[in-house]
Amino acid sequence: MTNFFALLELPESLSLDPEAVENSWREKSRALSDAADFGDGASESGPALDPPDLNQARSTLSDPALRLAHWLALRAPGAPADRSIDPSLMDLFAAISPVLGKTDEVLARHRHATTALAKAMLTREAIEAQLQVQGLLAQIQPLRHTITDQLDSIERAGASGDYQPASRALGQLRFLKRWEEQCRERLLSLIAC
Amino acid sequence: MNESLIIGIDLGTTNSLVGVVDSGFPIVLADRDGDRLTPSCVSWPAAGGPPLVGKEAFRSRMVAPERTVSSIKRFIGRTFSDLSPQERDEAGFPLVSGQHDEILVAIDPETLLTPVEVSALILARLKAIAEEALEMPVSRAVITVPAYFNNSQREATKRAAALAGLTVERIINEPTAAALAYGLDKLEESATVAVYDLGGGTFDLSILQMRDGFFEVISTAGDTRLGGDDLDRALARHFAETLALGELSPVEEATLLARAREVKEALSTEERITARFPFFRGSESYELEMTRPDLEKRLAPIIERTRPIAQRAFAEAANKGVGEVERLILVGGSTRIPLVREKLQAWFGLVPDISQHPDESVALGSAIQAGMLCGRVRQIILVDVTPLSLGIETFGGLMNVIIPRNSTIPVKAGELFTNAVDHQESMAIRVLQGEREMAKDNWLLGEVTVPFTPGAKGSARVGVQFAIDRDGILEVLARDTVTGEDHVLEIRNAAVNVDDEVVERMVSESIDYAFDDMNERIWTEATRKSEELLPAVSEALTRVGHLVPAADLADIEAAAARVRITLASESHDAAALKSANTALDEATQTLAAILVEAAFSGLDS
Repeated sequence: MTNFFALLELPESLSLDPEAVENSWREKSRALSDAADFGDGASESGPALDPPDLNQARSTLSDPALRLAHWLALRAPGAPADRSIDPSLMDLFAAISPVLGKTDEVLARHRHATTALAKAMLTREAIEAQLQVQGLLAQIQPLRHTITDQLDSIERAGASGDYQPASRALGQLRFLKRWEEQCRERLLSLIAC
Repeated sequence: MNESLIIGIDLGTTNSLVGVVDSGFPIVLADRDGDRLTPSCVSWPAAGGPPLVGKEAFRSRMVAPERTVSSIKRFIGRTFSDLSPQERDEAGFPLVSGQHDEILVAIDPETLLTPVEVSALILARLKAIAEEALEMPVSRAVITVPAYFNNSQREATKRAAALAGLTVERIINEPTAAALAYGLDKLEESATVAVYDLGGGTFDLSILQMRDGFFEVISTAGDTRLGGDDLDRALARHFAETLALGELSPVEEATLLARAREVKEALSTEERITARFPFFRGSESYELEMTRPDLEKRLAPIIERTRPIAQRAFAEAANKGVGEVERLILVGGSTRIPLVREKLQAWFGLVPDISQHPDESVALGSAIQAGMLCGRVRQIILVDVTPLSLGIETFGGLMNVIIPRNSTIPVKAGELFTNAVDHQESMAIRVLQGEREMAKDNWLLGEVTVPFTPGAKGSARVGVQFAIDRDGILEVLARDTVTGEDHVLEIRNAAVNVDDEVVERMVSESIDYAFDDMNERIWTEATRKSEELLPAVSEALTRVGHLVPAADLADIEAAAARVRITLASESHDAAALKSANTALDEATQTLAAILVEAAFSGLDS
């Protein structure tokens, strides 16, 4: 597995500065472009860079959940995945499904409507759905921050060989990320209603 | 042959252009008549002989519309079953399905062409224009495509170029190309810009950050079936309706479309004009007075369709942490329409930047990218994204996203597969592109077969890598983690090797069937639309009828009555019902707008 921290020459830390990731990616991309201009396969400062790897390194290290997954895969490749939902997320878990279901129903009716009037008839329901989805997003964001605020302590636990907190945090972040993506996708679709 | 020179091509829906970087500056090349725009039209003379391409074909459209192909870009890389009945009806030339669901343009039983073949003729013309202007042969090109083109449409464009004798060095997204043209002389500046590209047949909006020579696309959204063609058709329908022309012959339809385009263009600068239709039907001539507000009333619903798409791109850029968009750059011929500019300013609070040539900036951008690839332009780094999520079908018919949309390309992502039963030799994976959760609602790019070394259940370990290259095109690689062996997996989609005899038979069958069935099919579709509209009108009037001006109410009631009467008639006159529906649809535009406004202001509750 490619070590993205090493690829971007960044410390193997869970608390990276996003600006540092960005700057390193730009620097490497420019080196790669210059190398291509002059027909070299590699930059002067290091080994040959693979553009897809470079882009993947940037997207992985810029996202706390992906960064944590990558860090864990590098440090403890055999660590068991934690797939349980933390009790603190259960209320949200119970609320997500009905809201998304209702939203999907509005979106499906909107898709099948072929006239401006039939679509306009759905505006009221679409606004209601939008407010509910925004309400869910408002709940997801602080929960995610609560976990990402613990990244320093998770890293310290890892340094002493305890990867259970990391595995647990990753499990919860994955749920939140998935729900956030589902909500954002519905919001984007609702814009069209 | 000059191996190092690369030309840039804007293969447009309505017009195509070719350019090159000369002495560090991008230029668009002109043909021998000095014209830089080549109509994306191909016509096959009834008397035989080679097809006419460009201006000559465009001229013949009025006399032989069924033998003239235009806007072929709307069909490239798509399957016949993907086309809506409306798209097939509005093509203006006969389309039939081939043996493997591919689209065939049926000029006559002997002249059947795929959209790739038609596009190749246009590209060959552009290649010839470049060779004549540059006085040297060319064989390498950068070609632009709409940002929202999917994998199949990009691959089909590449195949068309190959047929035209061109090696595609890079496929570049149209709004990205326009941003290059815009930013070439602003490399020292930092800015976040949105490019609104409303062309002849497609719409894209991309948001880019320009900084230190980096042109980075942050988000993109679009519709590959929305453009100036739709505006022309809306206007042509209005002419037909207002002048009560009834059923139209292909020549009449072509005439209305041509006039619609002229009127649309004229009313972009004039306030009022008279559309004239001399000797339209035998000795009968017609004329129609039109003002800019009349035009805008017809075009507004179509222009409004760009709003949620643009908002989507803005929202996604905001989600990625991008701050305020500072400039809104307009490209594409349809952005000349004053209403487009007014709407954009109202929606986004930005004064549209019209510094770019609406028709030429994409071609100039493609020339710049070509110049970058052959070393004529330096200091620019272009970073684009994939417009659509890529995924595979999983258990339960769901789509599992492997590469999310708006991922920076080139990109790769892997998945590990294992055998589900003892001695399983392979498994088929359906590769999809799109944003919907159910696999069936997305584009099926094709299937790949992952080979397993036969063994006990769960013993095989094959890593499948999905890679999207800089052209936005997918490659699937499989690595056996036991042997470490890598190989490219073939993505099986619509076949390209088609048995001519079978195709001819299918074509003739589908044409016969189409004629027998045409009226009933249109009637059934029109009935569905009436059944959607009539109850919607009643309910909408109950909800917000008191807010509708009296004149509009009278129009709505008259149009609804006409639909009811036509629907109840025993003659099943499909054209009459379709026309009545269109009239009711148009009469209820104000009602729809009031309903939306009421919903937002809380009056509709």
